[in-house]
Amino acid sequence: MLDSTTPPTPILLYDDQCGVCRGIARWVHRAAQAKTGERTIIERPIGSDPDALRALNPALDIWEAYATIHVLMPNGSMKLGGEAVAEVLRRVRSTRWFAWCFAIRIFGLRPFQAVLDLAYAILADIRPLFGCESCGSPSRPVRATRWVIRSVRAVLGKPHHPRPTKNFSRHAVAAAVK
Amino acid sequence: MIDQPAPPVRGHARAPGSGGSIRTVTSETFGPLVLAGEGPIVVEFMSYGCAHCRVIEPILQQVAESVKREETAFRVNIAVDPELAAAYEIQGTPTLIMFLNGSVIGRAEGPSPTVPNLLAIITQPFA
Repeated sequence: MLDSTTPPTPILLYDDQCGVCRGIARWVHRAAQAKTGERTIIERPIGSDPDALRALNPALDIWEAYATIHVLMPNGSMKLGGEAVAEVLRRVRSTRWFAWCFAIRIFGLRPFQAVLDLAYAILADIRPLFGCESCGSPSRPVRATRWVIRSVRAVLGKPHHPRPTKNFSRHAVAAAVK
Repeated sequence: MIDQPAPPVRGHARAPGSGGSIRTVTSETFGPLVLAGEGPIVVEFMSYGCAHCRVIEPILQQVAESVKREETAFRVNIAVDPELAAAYEIQGTPTLIMFLNGSVIGRAEGPSPTVPNLLAIITQPFA
């Protein structure tokens, strides 16, 4: 499924326009190195070329890549969301010692993986709170939290300047001309 | 089981560039396809990292499919072609610009992602 240019190392795709994602990618870059010096996982920005992503894996959709964390496995499979996070933790030396627990099955269920899936879902949901315009629209609880934060900031004399329309992102233009 | 086969792609019928009702144009092809194109043309200025573009994508595909006999739809990825974004003073994404015989006759910034709204936006300037 993968072409000859694909390295035999998992690839973590991350949203380069999201501060949280960039921070995680930087941590992976530092931490994902074997004792021999080889990289155990490669981080790669999603970018803006859908064809380049499909060259990595024909089933990879660029919109989906921006919506959910993806890890591309050397065998051609993809891991998404909490599964992708578990794979990253398994590949990083400092977290490998506890990452084995995500594969534990109890009565056919993987309770630790379920907790990780939930944690990922929460993190993905609150990313917009950190000013990430590429992370999607926040859920109602997050919007409520943001409203509280903005209200507190307004009380403290830091007014919020709303965007002109709610379906419009200026961030993409700023990133394009950077 | 740790490794899982690649799941089917969800949500969007096709990624741009491989088909669908909206074709991608670049700064090289913008002139011949849009400015010199015949009939009503709508161009979406977008970015893959834009969440609003992600929301509007399947709806715009649907609308473009429904009007494809009368109108041609294109997309400009502003991350790849920032000069086109600058030329048309794109302030954010998604922005839809309607062209007729090479002239701009309509524009919508951050349209509400519903079929009736998008249909109205991309057909009314040509009515």
